[in-house]
Amino acid sequence: MPQLRKDPIIGRWVIIATERAKRPGDFLITKEKEDIKGKCPFCHGNEKETPPEIYALRKDGAASNKPGWDIRVVPSIAPILKIEGNLDRRGVGMYDAINGIGAHEVIIETPDHIANTAELPVGQIEKVLNTYVFRIKDLYNDKRFKYVLVFKNYGWAAGGSKINHARSQIIATPVNPKRVKEELVGARKYFEFKERCIFCDIIKQELKDKVRVVAEVDGFVVISPFAARFPFELWILPKKHNCDFYKLEQDEISKLAATLKLALCKLSKGLNDPPYNFVIHTAPFRHTEKHGYWKTIDRDYHWHIEIIPRLTQMAGFEWGTGFYINPTPPEEAAKALKEISCETELALAEK
Amino acid sequence: MSEIRRDPIGGRWVIVSTDSPKGPTDFQLVKDPETDPEKCPFCPGHEDQTPPEVLVSRNGGHINGPGWNLRVVPNKFPALKIEGDLGNEGIGMFDMMNGVGAHEVIIETPDHTKEMSQLSKQEIEATIFAYKNRCLDLRKDKRFEYILLFKNHGKSAGASLSHSHTQLIALPMIPKNVQEELSGAEHYYEYKERCIYCDIIRQEEQYKKCIVVANDKFVAFCPYVSRFSFETWIVPRQHFAAFDYIEPEAIPDLADILKNVLTRIHKALKSPSYNFIIHTSPIEDRVREEYHWHIEIMPKLTRTAGFEWGTGFYINPTPPEIAAKFLRQAKVNGK
Repeated sequence: MPQLRKDPIIGRWVIIATERAKRPGDFLITKEKEDIKGKCPFCHGNEKETPPEIYALRKDGAASNKPGWDIRVVPSIAPILKIEGNLDRRGVGMYDAINGIGAHEVIIETPDHIANTAELPVGQIEKVLNTYVFRIKDLYNDKRFKYVLVFKNYGWAAGGSKINHARSQIIATPVNPKRVKEELVGARKYFEFKERCIFCDIIKQELKDKVRVVAEVDGFVVISPFAARFPFELWILPKKHNCDFYKLEQDEISKLAATLKLALCKLSKGLNDPPYNFVIHTAPFRHTEKHGYWKTIDRDYHWHIEIIPRLTQMAGFEWGTGFYINPTPPEEAAKALKEISCETELALAEK
Repeated sequence: MSEIRRDPIGGRWVIVSTDSPKGPTDFQLVKDPETDPEKCPFCPGHEDQTPPEVLVSRNGGHINGPGWNLRVVPNKFPALKIEGDLGNEGIGMFDMMNGVGAHEVIIETPDHTKEMSQLSKQEIEATIFAYKNRCLDLRKDKRFEYILLFKNHGKSAGASLSHSHTQLIALPMIPKNVQEELSGAEHYYEYKERCIYCDIIRQEEQYKKCIVVANDKFVAFCPYVSRFSFETWIVPRQHFAAFDYIEPEAIPDLADILKNVLTRIHKALKSPSYNFIIHTSPIEDRVREEYHWHIEIMPKLTRTAGFEWGTGFYINPTPPEIAAKFLRQAKVNGK
């Protein structure tokens, strides 16, 4: 009998197919061998191929927009939102519109032509995470923005491009996105009811149940959630309650870097380098104290990372209902990924 | 400057690229390979490869044998199963229930090669009648709260078989997206005492730029807040909440506009993959005065990525005004 499971945070139902469960080998991943022909605009030495950098982590004395950097942040060549201008909120008949104002930045995670973040050393991933924090803090100063999303599209099926050079994206939006609001509202409701953070409760229950835990690293836990929408969906949850990702301390960032490396490495080894997305879920900017709006957010929300390998196709049913059909129970996914050893990679990476 | 538009029903925001809009030829389509009718479980002569039919229209032949024009069968690999109790239970802080539901397939034609837009108007009418009949029948099962009719056409829209078919899923709860749409419509109705969909039809007909085609009983347009390139809605002019209570007299007009719109999408976008979904009110005793059934058609031209997953924000590279213009210009019946 398939199971219907309810996501306790936003109330979304997921159909978990328990009988014809798909295991790692059951997904056909079409390899996108194709890489950019000619110059990769993200490789060191090709700095002229991108818009001028917003920020770079470079060795002392190296000139900007020249080689000698470890991490580089540049504006997107095809920004979906633009940084200049006013919002100009307006009604169009019965509809509402605002100008497409926002920030859209690309974080180039390495000067070398390496595709998957899973292959970067932990120290390099730590630099990437530090850069996220730095950019979020900077964008926080722009009062036009309400939310900043940090995410990654790896591989063509995950919406990535054909340039196989590891990078992530940052988008700052002038409105709070719907999906974010749902999560915030769900977390707040739970808090109002129980006076506890729902994510803290999830961590406790998962550590007790154990069956969905993929890994436990110092201060972080990697799980495949109870109502996982996708096969091998993973969440990285910090054990320390904190609603803002950007408030992480340095020692937490280095542990998160090791955890992220471990999770990505397990996915890559277990599923033969699948396309994936990851998204950092964090609290919105709080420029205004709207009545009652953010009153308890420090206590009711909990930042985390969601990683979604792209193994199945979304179809009419999912679009129509917001219901997901997951052919791999998260218990099976966690078991399979738990068994995959990435010790060597981690040890090598630390050197 | 691109525009951020707000969907007045669900409150979803969409970024519409008005600067460098993408036209029909700007999308890279992956052509699905041709499939072999010999291996198709939906082709005549292969009736034994599906569960026994629950509804059929035939000129001759025997039950579960060839000679049919349209066939409805349970899905061989159902997402939900028809037998059993719901058995709601809590597991610690989590909730679950058994996957009870109906999952049926409407095989619209015995012809393996035709896609829905290529079916005759009569065949599409028969298909709509089948939708209606199956819904009315499943309404009687008290375990179900919602019936979803949808089509996945083409591999990138999630279709596993190429033979033209529609799917029906009856669910033991009202799904989240439907709930959101209903609450959006309810809020609007409380505030204005008018149906939001009736208002949308009025505004689109006045604005004209987003209209694709219209007939006596239906209007097809690319909505102001289209999430996807060339997204098209078919909305009945007559205000009514439940699709399956559609009057038989309205079915020829619905078949006509559905065929017309699907043909335009097929021609303008060179046979893309697409999904369509019939949005209707839940199965329940009360009539939802504030809701208005309709069909949403979504060609699959772009990929969704981390941004969409993280935010529920959509990025639409083709403003609906431009999409509608291309669809209006597409030739239907050589005209």
